[in-house]
Amino acid sequence: MITKTAWKNVWRNKIRSFVVIASVAVGIFAGTFSVAVMEGAIAQRLDDALNHEVAHIQITHAGFRANNDLNFLLEHADKMAEKIRSLEEVEAVSYRLVVTGMANTASKSSGVIINGIDTEREKQVLGLDKILKEGSGSYLEKDDAGNRAYIGEDLAKYLNIIRFTLTDAIVDSLMAKGVPPETAEKLQPLAGTRFKNERTFRKKMESVFTREEQKEYGPLISEISRSFRKNARLALTFVDRDNYHTGGMFRINGLYDLTNNMLESTHVFVHYEDLARLTGIPPGQGHLIMVRLNDVDQTEPVTSKLKELFPGTEVMNWKQIQPELAMLEGMARMMYGFFMVIILAALAFGIVNTMLMVVLERTKELGMLAAIGMNKKKVFRMILTESVFLSLVGGVIGMIISKIVIALTARQGINFSGYKEGFEAMGFTSHIYPHIGNDFFILVTILIILTGILAAIYPALKALKLDPADALRTE
Amino acid sequence: MKNRTNRSGKTILVVLLAQVIFTTAFGQSAREIVQKAYEKFTGEESSYSIMTMTIVRPTWERTVTFKSWTKGKDYALTLITGPASEKGQSFLKRENEMWNWNPTIDRLIKLPPSMMSQGWMGSDYTNDDILRESSIVDDYTHEIIGEETIEGRACYKIKLIPREDAAVVWGYQIRWIDKKDYLMLKVELYDEEGYLVRTEIGSEIKQMGGRLIPTRLELIPAGEEGHKTIAAFDHIEFNIPLDDRFFSQQNMKRVR
Amino acid sequence: MQNEMKNHTYAWRNLWRNRRRTFITVASIFFAVFFALIMRSLQLGTYDYMFKNIIESYSGYIQVQNPEFWEDKVVDNTLHPDEDLISTLNADRNVQELIPRFESFALASSGSRTKVVMIMGVDPEKENLLSDVKNKLVKYRLTEAAIDSMALENIPRNIMRNLKLFSGSSYSSEGKLQTELDIKDQDTSDIMPLIRKHAGIRNGYFSEDNPGALVGNRLAQYLGLSRGDTIVLLGQGYHGTTAAGKFAIDGIIRVPAPDLDNKIVYLPVTRCQELYNAPGRLTALVLHIKDNSDRAIEQTIKRLSSRIDSTYRLMGWKEMNETIVNQMDADNKGGMIMIGILYLVIAFGVFGTVLMMTAERKREMGVLISIGMRKSKMAIIMLYEMLFIGIMGISAGVAVAIPIIIYGHHHPIVFSSKLAKMWEDYGFEPVMVFQWIDKYFIWQSVVVAIIVLIAAMYPVFKIFRLKEVEALKA
Repeated sequence: MITKTAWKNVWRNKIRSFVVIASVAVGIFAGTFSVAVMEGAIAQRLDDALNHEVAHIQITHAGFRANNDLNFLLEHADKMAEKIRSLEEVEAVSYRLVVTGMANTASKSSGVIINGIDTEREKQVLGLDKILKEGSGSYLEKDDAGNRAYIGEDLAKYLNIIRFTLTDAIVDSLMAKGVPPETAEKLQPLAGTRFKNERTFRKKMESVFTREEQKEYGPLISEISRSFRKNARLALTFVDRDNYHTGGMFRINGLYDLTNNMLESTHVFVHYEDLARLTGIPPGQGHLIMVRLNDVDQTEPVTSKLKELFPGTEVMNWKQIQPELAMLEGMARMMYGFFMVIILAALAFGIVNTMLMVVLERTKELGMLAAIGMNKKKVFRMILTESVFLSLVGGVIGMIISKIVIALTARQGINFSGYKEGFEAMGFTSHIYPHIGNDFFILVTILIILTGILAAIYPALKALKLDPADALRTE
Repeated sequence: MKNRTNRSGKTILVVLLAQVIFTTAFGQSAREIVQKAYEKFTGEESSYSIMTMTIVRPTWERTVTFKSWTKGKDYALTLITGPASEKGQSFLKRENEMWNWNPTIDRLIKLPPSMMSQGWMGSDYTNDDILRESSIVDDYTHEIIGEETIEGRACYKIKLIPREDAAVVWGYQIRWIDKKDYLMLKVELYDEEGYLVRTEIGSEIKQMGGRLIPTRLELIPAGEEGHKTIAAFDHIEFNIPLDDRFFSQQNMKRVR
Repeated sequence: MQNEMKNHTYAWRNLWRNRRRTFITVASIFFAVFFALIMRSLQLGTYDYMFKNIIESYSGYIQVQNPEFWEDKVVDNTLHPDEDLISTLNADRNVQELIPRFESFALASSGSRTKVVMIMGVDPEKENLLSDVKNKLVKYRLTEAAIDSMALENIPRNIMRNLKLFSGSSYSSEGKLQTELDIKDQDTSDIMPLIRKHAGIRNGYFSEDNPGALVGNRLAQYLGLSRGDTIVLLGQGYHGTTAAGKFAIDGIIRVPAPDLDNKIVYLPVTRCQELYNAPGRLTALVLHIKDNSDRAIEQTIKRLSSRIDSTYRLMGWKEMNETIVNQMDADNKGGMIMIGILYLVIAFGVFGTVLMMTAERKREMGVLISIGMRKSKMAIIMLYEMLFIGIMGISAGVAVAIPIIIYGHHHPIVFSSKLAKMWEDYGFEPVMVFQWIDKYFIWQSVVVAIIVLIAAMYPVFKIFRLKEVEALKA
C-alpha cells in the first residue's frame, strides 16, 4: 500500500518531479556516456596492443628474455604451436625467429630486432598487414622473390629511406590542402629541392617560417612532401648460430605504422625462411610463440594452462609484458567509480532538497495520516520509497538514453580529431567507439537506489518530528 | 649486278662485325680496368704494413698508429702501437668474425655488429669497410663515363652500378682509375637517391714494398663540415710468408 | 502613501520571510560550488603529482647540457661544467642540488657472453633524489634452491604453487612479492619471515669510496654474475678513444621494466668519466629545484639562461618529455569534460530549485501585481534575491571547501589495495592529492555564478508573462 501511495505521490507535483527526474536522467546519461567513451578509448588501446604488438600470451625459452641470444631456441616451436592451436580458447598461434642486429643504408645504421615470421599465420595473430601505412608499399607476400623486409615508418625515416621532396607540384598543391597563400609562397624558392631527411627539411622550414606557421603547417607539409621508394635497399647484419657475422641485403616491401613508437623504430619483419637460412637455424624452431585468444578475459587461465603444458619455458601474458596496459584498466575503473559517485552525490543533494520541500509542504497531510494512526515507520518508508521512485525513474530514463546514444555512436565511432595529438601521444587513437558493459548498468542502478534512500533520510526524519496536532491546526 | 650487291653486303658485314668487336672491347674495358685496379689493391696474397691514421674533426684531431698483417681477403690482424693509451689493443678478422683484445681489461671479446657502427677507433671507417663483403668487380656493372686528370695522372672515370642481388648498400659508385698504373685515385660513393655519401682520395703516390701505390688515403664523409680520416702508409711489404695460424686468438695477445 | 523601500532591502526581507525555501536554494548552490572545487582540486592535484613523480624519477625538471647533445646523444657531445657554471647554478635561489649524469652504452662481457648494455654514471648519494636507486636493490630471489628449502617449511599449498610458478623471479619490494604470490595480509607475519630466510639475498650499494657497479637483475643472470664478481665493459670513448674497464659488482638491482632490467649498469660518475676518457665531463647536469611549480620552473630557466655561458644549454622537462606533456594535456582536457558534466548536473539542480520556488510564489506574485506593484520592480527584486542567494551559496561553498582542501593537501588519500601495491613497484605512489588553492577557485565560482544568473532568468521571465487572474487562482 505504501508503494502505491508513494508512486502516486511522485506524480502529484508534476513540475517538481519532472525537474528531479530530468536532472537525474541527465546526470546518469552524461556520466554513463563519458564512462563509455573512456572505456572505448581504453578498449581500443588494449586492442591495438593486443592485436598488433603483444598478442595475449608469449612463450619463449626460459633464458631468452634475459638476453636475446640466438641459441635460446624453442626447438619444437612448430609442434608446440600445433598443440596450442588445438585449445578451444585459442584463436591463432604463430612462431617466429627473433634476432638482434644492425640495419644499414648507405648513410645511416641503426640497431634493430629482426623478426623472421610466417607471413600468413602472423596475419591472424598480429594483423601486421593491417598496420601498413597507406601509400607505403605492401606487406610481405607469400611469393616474394629475394630477401624482403617490412619495417616501421619511424625506422625508415631515421635511415633516410623516406625522403622529403618539395616539387613544384607539391608547393602548388599546398594551398588546396589548407595552407594559407602567404605561407605557401615562402616555400616557392625551395621548390625542386630534395631534402636528405626530415630534420634537414624541418630546419629549412623553420628558417623561412615564423614559429606559428611552423607549428600549424609544418607537420602537414612534411607529410605531403614525403616520398617512399619501394624496394629500397637495406643491409641487415647479425650473427648466426655459430656466432659468425652474417647478414644479407634486403629490399623493403613496405612500411608499417604503430602507435607504439619504440617498437616501430626497432622491429623489422622478414620471411622466416630467409632468416632461418641466414642464421642456420633449422625449420620448425623459433624464439617466440605468440598466442591470440578468442577472449581477453581468458588470459589468466590460459596462461596457467600453458605454463603447465610447457614447463621449463617462460610463459608471459600481456599484463606482465606491458604492465602499463593492465594498470590502465585498473586505474580507469577507479576513475569511473569515483566520477559516478560524485555525480550521484551532486544529484543526491537535489533530491534532498526536493524531498524536503515535499515533506514540508505536506505537513497537513502527514499530520492527518498520523492522526488516523499511520505509524511513524510507515511514514518514513513512504517518503523513502517516494524518493527511490523519483530517482529510479530518472535513472532508468537516463540509462535508456545512454544505451541508445552509445549504440548509435558505437557503430561509427566518435572522432576527436581536434585532440588527435594528445590522444595519440597517450597511445590512444582519436577515433573512439564508446562501449559499456551491462554490469555497469547494474552497478549504477544499485547506486541510484542507494542515493535515493540516503537522500531521503534527512527529510524523512524531519517528517517524523512533525507534531500531528500542530499539523491539524494549520488552517 | 650481283657483284656489287655482294661487295656492299660484305662491307656491311665487316662494318657490323667491327662495330660488335669494338663495342664488346669497349664494354669489357670498363670491367677489365676495374678488375686490374682491384687486383692491384687486394690481389696480393699477404701484406704487412705500418700505418698512421689521423682522425680530423672540427674541434679536435687524433692520431693512431698501427701495424697490420693481412692474408687474402679473409684474414687480418691489426695491432695498435700508439698513442700510449690505446697501445697494445689488437683486432682480428677471421672470415666473418671480429675479435678484439684489450690489455687494459685483459679480455678477448668477440665484437657484435653494433660495436662497429660508430666507426673503427672513432674514425670514418665503418663495419662494411672492415668486413668488406662485396667485390667491386663481381657485384657491379661498369661503364666508362669520362676521363679526368688527378694528381697529374690521366684517369678513367668509371661508374659502377650494383647488380640486382648484390649485397651492397650504395646506389652507385664513381671511381677514377689511373690509366697507366691502374691505381684507384678517387672514389665517390652515392646512395640510392643519388646523394653523395662519401669521397675517398688517394695521393702521395710512391714506390713502397716494390709497388707503386697511393700512400695517403683521405676518407671524407659528405655533409659533415671538417670531418675526415687520413690513413697513411709508413711502410708496406707484400707477399710475406704468413701462416694461417698467425691469425689466431692466442697470437692476438702475443703479437708485437 | 506607500513607503518605497529600497529594492534590495525588499529582496533581503523576502529571503528571510521564507527561511526554509531560501535555505534550500542556497544549499543547492553551496553544494554545487563545493563539489566542483573538491573534484577539480583532486584532479589537478593527483595528475600533477603523478606526472611530477615520473619526471622526478628520470629526467628531473631542468637539465644543463651540451647544446648538441639532445639531437645526437653521443659521448662526444658531453658538457664540461666549469667553476663559473657551478657557482652560478648553486647561487640561484631555486636550485637546491646539482646532480651529475653520464649516460652511454658499452659492451659488457663475462666468460663467453657479451651484451650491449646501458651505462648510467651517477652520484651514488645524490641520484637518490632522482631515480631512487637504493630502493631498487633486490631483496628476494626465488631460486630453485630457495624454493626447495621452503618446501620443507610449513607453507600453505596455494602459496607453494605460486612460488613454483614464479620460480626465478626477483623482488625489490615486499609489496610486489606479496601481491604476486597472493599472500593475504593476515598471513604476512607467518610467511614473510620464511621467505626472508630462504629467498632473501644480501645486497650492497656503491659509493665514491666503494666504486663498483650496480647491475640489473636480468643482466646479471644472463652474464652469470653476482655480487662480488667482476663485470668488464668495452665501448667507444671520448674523441674516438677506446673505453675499457673492469668493475666489481657491488649490488644487484631490479628495474621494473624488463627491457631495461636486462641491460642496465650503474656506475659512480667519476669512474664512468674515467672509463670513457672524459674526465670532468657529463651528459647532463640535473638541477634539483625547490619550487617545482610550472611558473617557478619557467622563471628559473629564464633567469639562468641569461646568466650562464652560451656553451651550455638549459632544457626544461617539458622539452625533454614531450610525450608526457601531451598525455597531461589530454588528461586535463578529460578532466575538464568531467567537470563540465558535473556542472550540467548542478545546473539542473539549481534550475530545478528555482523552478519550484517560482511555482510556489506564483500566487504571491499575482497578489502583489494586482495591488499595483510594477512587474519590472518585482523582477528587479527577484534578481536581487537571486544575487544574494548566489553570493551566500558560493561563499559558503568556498568557505567549507577551503579547510577540507587545506587538510587534504597535507594529508593525501593513500590507497592500499593490491592494485595500489603494483603501482608502487613502478614508482607511482597510489595517492590522490589535493591541489592547493589557485586560479581554479575563481573559475569554478564564476561558472556557478553564471549558472545562477541563467537560472534567475526563469522567474524574471515568468513574472513578465504572469496573468494575474490565473495567478490568483493558484
